[in-house]
Amino acid sequence: MRFSLVSAIYRKEMLDLVRDRRTLISMVVVPLLVIPLMLNVSTRVISRLQENAEQEAKSMAVGVKVTTPALREALEKAQIQMVEKDDLKDAVLKKTVAAGVEEIAGTPVRVEIYADNSNPTSSAAAARVRVALDDFKEQRIRESLRNSGIPESVLSPFVVKRTNIAGAKKMAGAMWGSILGYLVLLLMFTGGMYPVIDMTAGEKERKTIEALLATPASRREIVLGKSFAAMTAIFITAILTLGSMTYSLKSSNLGSKSPEMREMMREIPLDAHSLTLIAVTLIPVAMFAASVMFAIALFARSYKEGQSYLTPLLMVVIFPALLGGISGLEMTPALCLIPIFNASQIIRGILLGDATMANFAITTAANLAYAGIAFVIATRTFEKESVLFRS
Amino acid sequence: MIQVQGLSKAFSDSKLAVDDVSFEVRAGEVFGLLGPNGAGKTTTLRMLATLLKPTSGTASLNGFEITREPEKVREQIGFLSGDMGLYGRLTPLEILDFFGKLYGMDDARRAKRIQFMVTMLDMQSFAGVRTDKLSTGMKQKTAIARTMLHDPPVLILDEPTSGLDVPTARTIETAIVDAKKAGKCVLYSTHVMEEAEYLCDRIGVISGGKMKMIGTMEELRAATGKQRLREIFLDLLGLPE
Repeated sequence: MRFSLVSAIYRKEMLDLVRDRRTLISMVVVPLLVIPLMLNVSTRVISRLQENAEQEAKSMAVGVKVTTPALREALEKAQIQMVEKDDLKDAVLKKTVAAGVEEIAGTPVRVEIYADNSNPTSSAAAARVRVALDDFKEQRIRESLRNSGIPESVLSPFVVKRTNIAGAKKMAGAMWGSILGYLVLLLMFTGGMYPVIDMTAGEKERKTIEALLATPASRREIVLGKSFAAMTAIFITAILTLGSMTYSLKSSNLGSKSPEMREMMREIPLDAHSLTLIAVTLIPVAMFAASVMFAIALFARSYKEGQSYLTPLLMVVIFPALLGGISGLEMTPALCLIPIFNASQIIRGILLGDATMANFAITTAANLAYAGIAFVIATRTFEKESVLFRS
Repeated sequence: MIQVQGLSKAFSDSKLAVDDVSFEVRAGEVFGLLGPNGAGKTTTLRMLATLLKPTSGTASLNGFEITREPEKVREQIGFLSGDMGLYGRLTPLEILDFFGKLYGMDDARRAKRIQFMVTMLDMQSFAGVRTDKLSTGMKQKTAIARTMLHDPPVLILDEPTSGLDVPTARTIETAIVDAKKAGKCVLYSTHVMEEAEYLCDRIGVISGGKMKMIGTMEELRAATGKQRLREIFLDLLGLPE
């Protein structure tokens, strides 16, 4: 193995990559611009829609068919505007009222609330009605107890209180650990897709492969140089995604107005130590991804064909990456052997602060072994005439 | 310098693309490989450049056998494929520097040879421009410079003047003549009969994977009774003029 040749191939591929607009978009623009924009805009839009729905629910009337004056008074007391409607369901569906309240005679009297749960305004209005009616019901019970000479304390023989001892930091880890690993792993594969296709099918399509193969560089040296370049591109994508997500989460609070949420955002455990551990976890994953994609893309004759070969691989990656983020799955040494899933789980564990050194070591070693196997397969594939000169 | 003995190549469909081909090319000689499309020229050249493994037969270049010492063989050759094969996002200077490194040339020798090739092929005006912005002629000059950069003893050129205008083709023909004068062994394929007649010391006509005849122009004329290479070529293929 002549490392001077591997280094020459690596440097040429990197130069070629940074001049390729498609690669730059998937490697730099998506992690640095699209992800923060997506996070900020989507969460701000959701937050704004929720606020608007609540405001609208307050200003919009509720359709009623209520005969008991006390019930009507209870709704008035809760500042709910009322209009009489014959067909409440139709009125709710046609959005002439936010929700509907119908008193149905019987023993006991039944009060039906009609809401269109696909409409946030209707849901919010129904929730307001529900609160007003619950308050009224409780008030009636207390009055009855008082009139019967029974103390109100019978309603609360004991108090139940639930305390979350996880703390904001751990809660943030649990919340973001499930999505961060998934997003980073997915973007690593999408970020690596274009560089790998460019170095394999792209080289065939541009007819540059013969000149390269006619040099003294061995097939293994060529694959190693190209794989290192692909790995670098994949790793840069991962680091930029991690960095931009950390910055976005910490700086934006995702548009949340809740102080608890703001506190949780500030406490997201993406500190230097966690980020270093995550980066170390991702190095063998980047090597594995580069070699696997390399071996597959080699079979393609053109850029387009390469894309159609590698796109199904993204589907294969999504499933274990998502599964690895699910809370409640206990990390065992056996689970640490499942590629992609193990990295997703370890990232979650690092953010939660409960990843053990043994699991971390098994995951890293397993992914290194898979990267090695994938590299051998990629080299063997690169030695096949039928693959290189497929026409 | 090049010895080819009973070289054959079958692809997966088991049909022989090259069938028991033998010839030799000496130092300081230009050997032209002529044949219609699909005759087996490119497959033969690819086998000699160690890109394809022969099904049977043997060949050695400058003393190194193609299947036993492929990397040594590749050190001895400059190979120009029919498609030029240039990296569009790199400039000619960057391409030459990259290939110089792959041929194990040290910094000083690489810089000197790049300068020499750029001057020889009159590439100064476009050597720093991205290759995808260059004309066909400029690209072919770059490809020739890449092929000759490491000053190899053996040159294998697959249709080096294909699609070029007359002045650019002339520059490349001159480079081939200079290489011959410098004692290089040149094996090249072409469809341009006038060029082969002018450049080649000996010519081999290949068809259907088989070598039909090898000889100097005089030997070919004597064997076929025809004067012009075009007539000789058609006669050997059994085609009417």
